[in-house]
Amino acid sequence: MTPSPDHPRPDLETYRGERTPAGPEMSPSRAGRRVPVDALQGALAAEHAAIWVYGVTAAFVPSTLAERLDAAATAHQARRDATERMLIDAGTPPVPPEPGYRTPEPVTDAASALRLAITAETDAAAAWRSVIERSTADPDLRGAALDALTGAAVRAVRWRAAVGGTPLTVPFPGMP
Amino acid sequence: MLTVGATLFLAGPAVLAGCTLPARAPEGPDPLEAPALRAEADAALATGMARSAAHADPVLAAAARALAADRMAHAAALRAELRRARPGPAPHGASPPVAPPPVDPDLAGARSTLTQTVHAAQDEAAGLVMTLPGYRAALLASVAACCASHAALLS
Repeated sequence: MTPSPDHPRPDLETYRGERTPAGPEMSPSRAGRRVPVDALQGALAAEHAAIWVYGVTAAFVPSTLAERLDAAATAHQARRDATERMLIDAGTPPVPPEPGYRTPEPVTDAASALRLAITAETDAAAAWRSVIERSTADPDLRGAALDALTGAAVRAVRWRAAVGGTPLTVPFPGMP
Repeated sequence: MLTVGATLFLAGPAVLAGCTLPARAPEGPDPLEAPALRAEADAALATGMARSAAHADPVLAAAARALAADRMAHAAALRAELRRARPGPAPHGASPPVAPPPVDPDLAGARSTLTQTVHAAQDEAAGLVMTLPGYRAALLASVAACCASHAALLS
């Protein structure tokens, strides 16, 4: 992954703030629910980045992990599609993916590829936790956000185990 | 600047609500009491299991130690929030601490006990995420996700 020389991109950790559009914090969806639009856009941006990351990592990790990487990519694609639908229902155009992302370190082998995947999952966990924190007690939205946060936390742990990092777990996934 | 302004505006009612809390007679135990007790019991259970498995199954012992550390962190965060919401001495009549079950001398049984423990903690926390106010829901969401990640490692 190469940064676009004309349009240098922020790190995966920081790009979301730039993409968050100014606008109302909560918007009524067509179903009359109030959704935290800014937080959902942040989550969508994190999903776009994660999908991009899994496209990059696939070339570097051993084939023994291929199935799990595919499953991770599929999970993020499904989450992206569902999040876009939620935003459209709320009357807000979903943020598009960036043309490119800058990684915290060059991806040159399996270990650096897995570390990038951990970064993407950590970002996704934080974004979905933020959706929960900024949402009303809406079981549908919070349930989806909790599933997304949990999935990201579990995948991060699996990649840490694969890359040999310790500790494998963090006590508060998604907490800044 | 717009974002900061909006945040401050939104924080206003929450701060006011926080100030009025002590004046309102709390009814029943705080909903965070149960997950705090569970986190403390799980930490005790996992600590005991880490000790008894240390020689026979170092991998399980390491998993138990990691779980104990994370559950202790959960207990501390939940207790901090409980104290913030209701300052003063802990109310009488709160549920007694959950006694950790005796550590299973059979290590396969121990792994299964630990797995059931984290699943139960995940379910309890996930249920509370749906109803609690934003900050608390997010805290419990992190607890649930952490427990799920331990369950994945134990499976």
